Amino acid sequence: MLKSKTFVKKTRSGGIMKIVREHYLRDDIWCGSEVCTECKQEETVLQKDACIESNLCSFPHYLLPDTNIVLSQIDILEDPLIKNVIILQTVLQEVRHRSAPIYKRLKDILHDKEKHFYTFTNEHHRETYIEREQGESANDRNDRAIRISTKWYSDHLNNTPTTDKRLKVVLLTNDRGNKEKAEESGLLTYRCEEYVKSLIANPELVDRLALTNDDKNEITSSKVLFPEHLPLSRIQSGIKSGTFQQGTFRASRDNYLEATVFVHGEGDDSTEVLIQGLQNLNRAVHQDLVAVEILPLNQWVAPSSVVLQDEGPKEDDVTEEEEAELKSGPSGAASRKPTGRVVGIIKRNWRPFCGMLFLSQIKEATRHLFTPADRRIPRIRIETRQAATLAGQRIMVAVDGWPKHSRYPNGHFVRSLGSAGDKETETEVLLLEHDVPHQDFSQAVLSFLPKMPWNITEEDMAVREDLRNLTVCSVDPPGCTDIDDALHCRDLPNGNQEVGVHIADVSHFIRPGNAMDLEAANRGTTVYLTGRRIDMVPELLSSNLCSLRSSVERLAFSCIWEINDKAEIVKTRFTKSVINSKASLTYAEAQMRIDDANMNDDTTKSLRGLNRLAKILKKRRIEKGDLMFTLYRWVQIQITLLFPRETNSMVEEFMLLANISVAQKIYDEFSECALLRKHPAPPPSNYDILNKAAKSKDMVIHTDSAKALADSLDAAQVDGFPYFNTLLRILATRCMMQAVYFCSGMDSDFHHYGLASPIYTHFTSPIRRYSDIIVHRLLAVAIGADSTYPDLMDKHKQSALCNNLNYRHKMAQYAQRASVAYHTQLFFKSRGILNEEGFILFVRKNAIIVLIPKFGLEGTVFFENKDKPSPKLIFNEEAPSLTVEGHSFNMFDKVKVTISLDASNVQHQKIRMSLVEPVISGVSVAPSEPEPEVKRAKLDR
Amino acid sequence: MATVQVSEAEKVYILHGVRDDLRVDGRGCEDYRHMEIETDMVSNTDGSAKVTLGHTDVLVGVKAEMGKPRPMVPDEGYLEFFVDCSANATPEFEGRGGDELGMELSNTLYKVFNNRYSVDLKSLCISPGDHCWVLYVDVLLLQCDGNLFDAISVAIKAALFNTKIPKVHISEDEEGGKEIELSDDPYDCMRLNVENVPCIVTLCKVGHRHVVDATLQEKACSVASLIISVTHKGTVTCVRKVGGGSLDPESIFEMTETGKRVGKALHAPLMELLQEEESLGKKRQKVGFLG
Repeated sequence: MLKSKTFVKKTRSGGIMKIVREHYLRDDIWCGSEVCTECKQEETVLQKDACIESNLCSFPHYLLPDTNIVLSQIDILEDPLIKNVIILQTVLQEVRHRSAPIYKRLKDILHDKEKHFYTFTNEHHRETYIEREQGESANDRNDRAIRISTKWYSDHLNNTPTTDKRLKVVLLTNDRGNKEKAEESGLLTYRCEEYVKSLIANPELVDRLALTNDDKNEITSSKVLFPEHLPLSRIQSGIKSGTFQQGTFRASRDNYLEATVFVHGEGDDSTEVLIQGLQNLNRAVHQDLVAVEILPLNQWVAPSSVVLQDEGPKEDDVTEEEEAELKSGPSGAASRKPTGRVVGIIKRNWRPFCGMLFLSQIKEATRHLFTPADRRIPRIRIETRQAATLAGQRIMVAVDGWPKHSRYPNGHFVRSLGSAGDKETETEVLLLEHDVPHQDFSQAVLSFLPKMPWNITEEDMAVREDLRNLTVCSVDPPGCTDIDDALHCRDLPNGNQEVGVHIADVSHFIRPGNAMDLEAANRGTTVYLTGRRIDMVPELLSSNLCSLRSSVERLAFSCIWEINDKAEIVKTRFTKSVINSKASLTYAEAQMRIDDANMNDDTTKSLRGLNRLAKILKKRRIEKGDLMFTLYRWVQIQITLLFPRETNSMVEEFMLLANISVAQKIYDEFSECALLRKHPAPPPSNYDILNKAAKSKDMVIHTDSAKALADSLDAAQVDGFPYFNTLLRILATRCMMQAVYFCSGMDSDFHHYGLASPIYTHFTSPIRRYSDIIVHRLLAVAIGADSTYPDLMDKHKQSALCNNLNYRHKMAQYAQRASVAYHTQLFFKSRGILNEEGFILFVRKNAIIVLIPKFGLEGTVFFENKDKPSPKLIFNEEAPSLTVEGHSFNMFDKVKVTISLDASNVQHQKIRMSLVEPVISGVSVAPSEPEPEVKRAKLDR
Repeated sequence: MATVQVSEAEKVYILHGVRDDLRVDGRGCEDYRHMEIETDMVSNTDGSAKVTLGHTDVLVGVKAEMGKPRPMVPDEGYLEFFVDCSANATPEFEGRGGDELGMELSNTLYKVFNNRYSVDLKSLCISPGDHCWVLYVDVLLLQCDGNLFDAISVAIKAALFNTKIPKVHISEDEEGGKEIELSDDPYDCMRLNVENVPCIVTLCKVGHRHVVDATLQEKACSVASLIISVTHKGTVTCVRKVGGGSLDPESIFEMTETGKRVGKALHAPLMELLQEEESLGKKRQKVGFLG
């Protein structure tokens, strides 16, 4: 049956359009229940004995939540206890419209076979479709549609002759009007709270209930603390007229009463608006999209330099002194910044936050404050009966809302991550806080894995070049299971050499658009933490089918060059291939083979050839001004105290070569949509600190080009201070910009500053980087080995993908750093207090940053202390130097510090450094006694 | 324009019949042929109507769009007319064949309908000087069997009656910035007052008398016709003479009087019919194009 749906819409240009859509109603939509004999369904989702033990419903029943229940209580629905739920299409559509993240979570539940969630397409069912009536709002219509469907279900289930008559459908709604109407028409209806509280077996589920509006009123006094947020329409018109600015809210890490809003202007220019004071912050939370109003010029203030932590549950009164203190910051007109106040929230960006419970002083209380691990997030008030068990655990809390009369936002407990300080828990926190997707791969994703045992088929062989006879080998760090590159080198009859780089053909397994592809695209990269790896693709691929292990046949994407004696490329070609690696070597093994004159097998010869060419290539690249090598590798090697081996750079060299060759090829072929990587040259001002540092030792660093920089860094040596050069290189590294992925159609600057290459991309690690998969696909299309698909050629879609990849890479880096920091803390916890020598890396206004070469550890020595009067500090920005009580600290000065673990704050344990030498009275501390040997031995065990 | 060839003998036959108030198809001189009206035919317009008069078949759609008011009358909306003479109606319209007729028709319609006496143009104003509703009246000729003007005018009146314009209101913030807000309820819409919308009565001078609703054969015997638009009160709002022959003042006067009488008589049943159809609401069985 055909119906048409008519609605009126406002177009973007301000016009009004009437839109008519065809809407088909059918009568072959089944109910999805196991008991039903009427419906001709092939598969049933809802179980026959759908029993959740409950006081209210002692009979088997299906749950049917309305939209608001799904939106606010998704945490409850996700609980494994809740099964056999009917999700109406009306609800699904509305959820999708209102909240994308919740929609995604709902979709995940629906896919989970264990949960028995069924989507009933009531909008297309002939008996449950309703048209909007005159004078009915869209919401009322949807509520009615939900009631009609509930009614249909209960009638339908009762009509089935074989049915156990006790099976019922329970409508869950918190809407009073809806509930009354449903009861009138004889439906079984409960409020969500009512129902959840009635669940006998699982009292802890109550904690996961989100607070609804009714409950919030009980919690807080009626005193209004915050100004009302403006409605969205007012905000939009305000933004249009320029009275308000729209921007991302970024809370200050150090001061809970201060925040900045980044206002994105036209093009690149964006301004920062300072917000001070609780009233002006007006319930905005870090990362929200807010509208701000700029205050008149005479109310502008300077950012305060005071560190303020919200100390605890001071019930609803904004402490006046703190506000006063805040205002008394430096008031020089020069340091004043545009100041504003938040007038409304355009989009909340709440996610579940990790943190710990701050127990209420009252023993019996069920309302507690939760302190998030991220200092930029305000405390959250939650209600729980398991406070005693949750104390000392890392937990996750979701925010439900922030009413205007409440000092803190309200939230609810989501789940516990484990006890604080536990390695597992801390890693979990770290991943969550850095937004690293780390759940196990879903069934949908795994379903796209090839069936085992997997073999290379005839068809594969037919379209691929057979390179199994070549002596290919791989060289990787020890313990590497995801081997994505392998090499070969052989002499050609004409005297030239053939070098091949073989990369795992991941794009053969991950086809565009399927669940596995989407998951990988979302994850973006494999994240390596200390002691843990979070894969981008399922392990079967990463460690087996795609891993180019020795003595097995593997699919590869090969880049093969003909190279002459001077290491110049004569010919390049790309091909999909099948290889059989002859050896998986570690760097050390490879080096040994090259050095061992007695070994003369094919693999070793091949390695020697590669090594020889790599040396020439490397020399040439350094001449051109490659910084990556001179900076990053060097620093890394120095810090991790690895012995540099030629083989490291040998593999590196050919990977670079392959990346550049591929970049050129895909750009030639697809000038609009090639995925490339660029590294912008840093603006000259970035080098200020480096120049100042060099000047302090009477040296000049040329920064006009990468080449000049590399050369002058090489030349910068101080006699008797061998570590100086390393320090300088560390500083230079800090001046660099971040390398990013981009789509060639959206940018014009392709230059890779660090590698001194005009074009670059990532091709060689498709197992651990999604960018490489895209590059593989582009290249495959370019050589005619694979077909294309629309998204690959859409530069806007690619650009969006690049943004995600860049974000994921950045977060992965942060997570890695945080992981290293955490393990450093563990290390120092076991070592106790240590005295070490270090060098001053930076000088700050009230502190110096010290690098300890022995551990490659960086730490801050503060000269200001909360409880002690601060010493006399004179900061000279030009030098830069800091004079503390007459002793001046310059960059690169040698100091001695004690290192200890500051565990006073369980959530934020940190390494503390204090000055030992030079001795300054009142500032430095006495060197601590090394702890007795006995104790240490115990710990070491 | 669609014409037929009539022989001398046929002409005499028609003329004599008209003289005796008995036309070829049995009608009197002031009688219309059988007329059928259906509104709300096309769902993606804001108002539509189809009128069948004899074998003449006309479809009218009204679309309301937002536009800027004319500078001379900032507080009024306006109507635009477009007549599409499709080749379906007659092979003569093929290619650009129907353009001239279409222009002529739309010009006349513009004169007749786009004035404040016919339609309450002020009610089409959203915010003076800035926004108003523009009603695009699209006329589609499906079949031509004489007397296009009358059929079109009835169809336009019916379509305007059927027109539902979404309600909008202007919200104003402190700075005077105006924002147009659209009501969320699709049923919340504005109806036009069509009471004063005139109908066109075309009178054809045949011999010494004149006839209403001339067929193509009668038209072929006529030298000139008079197009008169009449309101429900019998007020003549527009008169236009078409055709090559001349009309003496006396017969013009007579024809006007007839037009007034016929027009007045046409309005009352038309409005009744439209209201009856409207009251049926969704229960009404739609006939559509195939009925």
